[in-house]
Amino acid sequence: MKLVVGEGSCGLAAGAGAVYDRLDTLLKENNPTGAVLDITGCNGMCFLEPIVDLYDDEGTLHRYVKVTEKDADDIYAAVSAGDLSSLDRLGITPDDAHFLEAQTRVALRDCGLINPENIDDYIARDGYKAIEKILKTGMSQDDVIEQIDISGLRGRGGAGFSTAFKWRAAKNSEGDEKYLICNADEGDPGAFMDRAVIEGDPHNLIEGMLIGAYAIGASTAIVYVRAEYPLAIVRLEKAIKDATARGYLGDNILGSDFSCTLRIKAGAGAFVCGEETALIESLEGKRGMPRLKPPFPAQSGYWQKPSNINNVETYANVPWIINNGGAAFAAMGTEQSKGTKVFALSGKIKRGGLVEIPMGTTLRDVIFDIGGGIKNDVPFKAVQLGGPSGGCVPAEKLDTIIDYAELGATGAIMGSGGMVVMDETTCMVNMAKFFLDFTAKESCGKCIHCRLGTKRMLEILDRIVKGQGEEGDIEKLEELCYAIKDGALCGLGQTAPNPVLTTIRYFRDEFEAHIEGHHCPAGECRDLITYSINKDKCVGCSACSRQCPANAITGELKSPFEIDPELCVKCGNCKTACRFGAVEVH
Amino acid sequence: MSIKYTIDGVEVIAEASDTILSSALRAGVEIPTLCFDKRTAIYGACGICLVEVEGVPKLLRACSAKPMEGYVVHTDSDRVVRARKTALELLLSDHTGDCRGPCKLNCPAMTDCQKYVQEIKNGQFKQAVETIYEAFPIPASIGRVCPHPCEDACRRQLVEEPISIAFLKAFAADKVLAEDPYVIPVEPDTGKKVAIIGGGPAGLTAAYFLKMYGHAVTIFDQQPKMGGMLRYGIPEYRLPKAVLDQEISIIEKAGVVMKNNVKLGRDIQFDDIRNEYDAVLLAIGAWTSVPMRVPGEDLDGVEGGIYFLEKLGLGEKPLLGKNVAVCGGGNTAMDCCRTAIRLGAENVYVVYRRTRNEMPAADIEIEEAEEEGVTFKFLTNPAEIYADENGHVAGMKLQIMELGEPDASGRRRPVPVEGAIEDIKVDNVLMAIGQIAKCDGVEGIELTKKGTIVADDMTFRTNIDNVFAAGDVTNRGAGIAIEAIGEAQKAALCINNYLEGDEVRYKKPYFVEDEKTEADFEDRPKQAREKMPGLSPEERRDNFKPIYFGFTEEQAINEASRCLDCGCHDYYDCRLIEYANWYDVHPEKFPGEVHSRPIIKVADPISHNPDKCVLCGLCYRTCDQVVGQTFIGLYNRGFSTIVNPMVPADKAATFCATCLKCVEVCPTGAMKSEIPVVRRVER
Repeated sequence: MKLVVGEGSCGLAAGAGAVYDRLDTLLKENNPTGAVLDITGCNGMCFLEPIVDLYDDEGTLHRYVKVTEKDADDIYAAVSAGDLSSLDRLGITPDDAHFLEAQTRVALRDCGLINPENIDDYIARDGYKAIEKILKTGMSQDDVIEQIDISGLRGRGGAGFSTAFKWRAAKNSEGDEKYLICNADEGDPGAFMDRAVIEGDPHNLIEGMLIGAYAIGASTAIVYVRAEYPLAIVRLEKAIKDATARGYLGDNILGSDFSCTLRIKAGAGAFVCGEETALIESLEGKRGMPRLKPPFPAQSGYWQKPSNINNVETYANVPWIINNGGAAFAAMGTEQSKGTKVFALSGKIKRGGLVEIPMGTTLRDVIFDIGGGIKNDVPFKAVQLGGPSGGCVPAEKLDTIIDYAELGATGAIMGSGGMVVMDETTCMVNMAKFFLDFTAKESCGKCIHCRLGTKRMLEILDRIVKGQGEEGDIEKLEELCYAIKDGALCGLGQTAPNPVLTTIRYFRDEFEAHIEGHHCPAGECRDLITYSINKDKCVGCSACSRQCPANAITGELKSPFEIDPELCVKCGNCKTACRFGAVEVH
Repeated sequence: MSIKYTIDGVEVIAEASDTILSSALRAGVEIPTLCFDKRTAIYGACGICLVEVEGVPKLLRACSAKPMEGYVVHTDSDRVVRARKTALELLLSDHTGDCRGPCKLNCPAMTDCQKYVQEIKNGQFKQAVETIYEAFPIPASIGRVCPHPCEDACRRQLVEEPISIAFLKAFAADKVLAEDPYVIPVEPDTGKKVAIIGGGPAGLTAAYFLKMYGHAVTIFDQQPKMGGMLRYGIPEYRLPKAVLDQEISIIEKAGVVMKNNVKLGRDIQFDDIRNEYDAVLLAIGAWTSVPMRVPGEDLDGVEGGIYFLEKLGLGEKPLLGKNVAVCGGGNTAMDCCRTAIRLGAENVYVVYRRTRNEMPAADIEIEEAEEEGVTFKFLTNPAEIYADENGHVAGMKLQIMELGEPDASGRRRPVPVEGAIEDIKVDNVLMAIGQIAKCDGVEGIELTKKGTIVADDMTFRTNIDNVFAAGDVTNRGAGIAIEAIGEAQKAALCINNYLEGDEVRYKKPYFVEDEKTEADFEDRPKQAREKMPGLSPEERRDNFKPIYFGFTEEQAINEASRCLDCGCHDYYDCRLIEYANWYDVHPEKFPGEVHSRPIIKVADPISHNPDKCVLCGLCYRTCDQVVGQTFIGLYNRGFSTIVNPMVPADKAATFCATCLKCVEVCPTGAMKSEIPVVRRVER
């Protein structure tokens, strides 16, 4: 029997470390059945962490979810007794299991299945077969790029540019020294698939990068990882060491003429460093600010040498494409968008986590079938795609398919795959303000349109959510949006207006309600709402009063309580605490 | 291999190494940019150089974009203009400073007061006078009589008292007039002829400018001498006519033909003048006294104040009795009452229906009138003037008033106190409640209800082709001399444009203006305003001698050194303000947080004002890429981004080469050096 604890960052945050330690301690004391304990990365079901996968002697998987340290004792006991029936209470429900079953995994194919710190686990699942195939069957650089071309793979980091086009450009650029760079500066709020790949399947990334380096003719590859991903860095460091030891990295890889080293550069936490030219500046030790394009990195990148930059998810698809052929990848998806895409599902969703599905799936399927719908079955309002660079898609467009062009037509973008689900209690103006606040703070300050334009937009939005909006504010926002899109230097600035533009497009009435009626229809904007207790519903239990941080709620037990609006700080604790729906928002 | 493309219809040939910017500049197409200097790597921060290329969806930054064969580039499409304008407006929405000081901005003639005050401070008196002549001629005269809106706006008041700007002007003008009078530079003859009707402040100013532009200028004036109201409305003790004569002679020497004793409609006909000259400027002023509409105002001994002063100007000696009443509270009333005292009147009353606080006359005039013995009868209004048996004025009944609610002008409206009447015995009544224009002899000209000439306030054109008008005779009527001068200066520009064949409307330039409070100057040491030396009240009561002696040189320099030097020193080199005026910006569209950060001491003698910085990066990029130092750099992100030295101030001397290159390339006044630096970028 084999016990595998999910130790991605999400699992560890939920307590997987303690579960592992407990099992480890118990098994070291006494292990009558000879059970093996192992770890794996995130399998995508973040909403069920910590997860313990138990493979019985027949190799059948029993998945236990939301396992506590105390549950670990029960698992140990059952394993030691050879009778798992007592663990049924911890078993995953068929509904939840559907979350994974409904997915098609290419980039995440090993995540949750292998020990990321063990190169043999990777090799056992056809790891490093793709680079072996290239080097041993004599595939040329062009042959490799040809397969990528056939696959139709487009950059998964946000812009969706053709990977084969970039590789070919870098390959054809003159220069004796070229660089292959991986952008692992995953900064979009709500996106974490790159972290999952590095933490759960680092060799897949290494192999993908090796293939890219071979294709463009680079002998140095660099992974730019954000410093906020310490576990990813540790696992990648180990993977590089192991791969080098096995001859997959270094000189004359697998006995060929191809040599390539790989190193890590930790970023310092600036969102803009996810922009490829700012990333290069940062790699060179400079302040992370975008460069003008052209020249593109393929012509003049890192240290002015031809360089190719893709993100983690893009590279993670590459070994699969080489192993299975570009056509197999292209067989999935739509006419213009091939293969699969990973989405990070979060927000007001029942099942939040990583979802990899073929292009062409509808948003409705992702949110309602895989994600299980909205928490507490509140009506769905919109989904924000592409983080601060993307836009929202409203309920009436839920049947939009996942496709670069189709999503683009809604005003949103594919982006890096962040999918933040919102229900009707979310104020769209406030949501737009949240993302703009993010971009305004993360603006590097270089160009006028972004530095000052986002600031002025944020100030307008701030006024609106405070009920101080003025007639003409929407038009002024739109004017600034278009000016920023036209004038900003890099992708950060050019896309910063998207959340505002799409919310105006689909939820203009909410903006108008704030401005004209000083009213927040979603009941979220603090300056525009008041909390009160419905006397007919209140049973006088005092639960609200006990949760109030401002001592604004008073009353006598068993008779209706009251909120003093002067003292109320509108935190909403009372509404959450009340089990009778007596706290009302106006 | 060269590339052919067009910008705004101009064919451009570019080399492979060219950008759109470099090839456009070579072809003579101007593309604005704040962050480009070819000695540094292309940066692309400002976005002012955006251009539109047909068939290319995005706007391109001309500084970096390479032209391609057949490109059709536009630098003036709506989209380009909008993007550039928004960038400038955003920059200016967080740009704090004074492009020009409040003194200049409040001068109707936009005289660069700060500049000439500073020049006086430096002892550069001739330069100071040249500075004034950029705005108007006759500075010695105006310096004596101007009610100085500049001083009313002067920020030194926030420390203690305003700078004595007007007297400083008179000082410098007098000194230069005595030592080495100014010579007006004149452009070669254009062959165009301009007639100016009226030789007052407006006519003289317009003549001065039009002559400089190279036109043949003739002034026609009905009086025996030029000067208009300066000569015939302002008494000698305030403006010695010898000074005015000298200043007029400077204009005459430049070649302006002056014809006196010529009255329009009597000696010359309007239509003839129009036909004979390419352009005509009507600057005939407002010479008619406003009647009071009080019973008895037609009596013998009742007269308009300006007529009384005019007689004096013509050398007549008006006869006055012992008791004189002057009605009105403006500067003309003050001139009348003080003149009456000087002519020997024993009791001179000023009858004014409000209180001293509401008097439009300058404080100093009221003070000096009181010193000279004038009696002010505030809150009284003429109700009736009555005669003696000979039909001559014998006295006046005054209605006692009190102040009620504020009126449209903001001043409290005087209302009669029922039945309260005061009787004063007077021999003469001088009415000084206003003056209006009378446009006899100007056939076919469109007039306002008031009887003034309708003139466009941006082009100064009247309804008649080739006829312009400026000064007291137009629109809202009589004002102060410097207002008439300001109009004449702009009218001259419009006439010049008209003579060159295009109509250019005068447009007030855009300026960044700061708002300061007393708190901003708390640490300034106080230094009192210099007192103007002059005659004592006793010495001046019985004569028309000039009452002021003028500043001594020491006093003038002392006074000038009080100037806070508000306006930006780099105004004339500033590309931000230049472009702002190209694109007619309205930064007030984007209100919001505005920075207020202290000046950063970079390294002696360099300092940096982050509130004027546009973050073009030229300073630190030049330091890094041209000089090879990395002494300055960027800190923080987004709205908080700031240029700062990269080492602590005490180490500055070790690291900064003080080459001043950072100051040289700054497109605004943000980087500043105590040592003068010529601002220069290479494009």
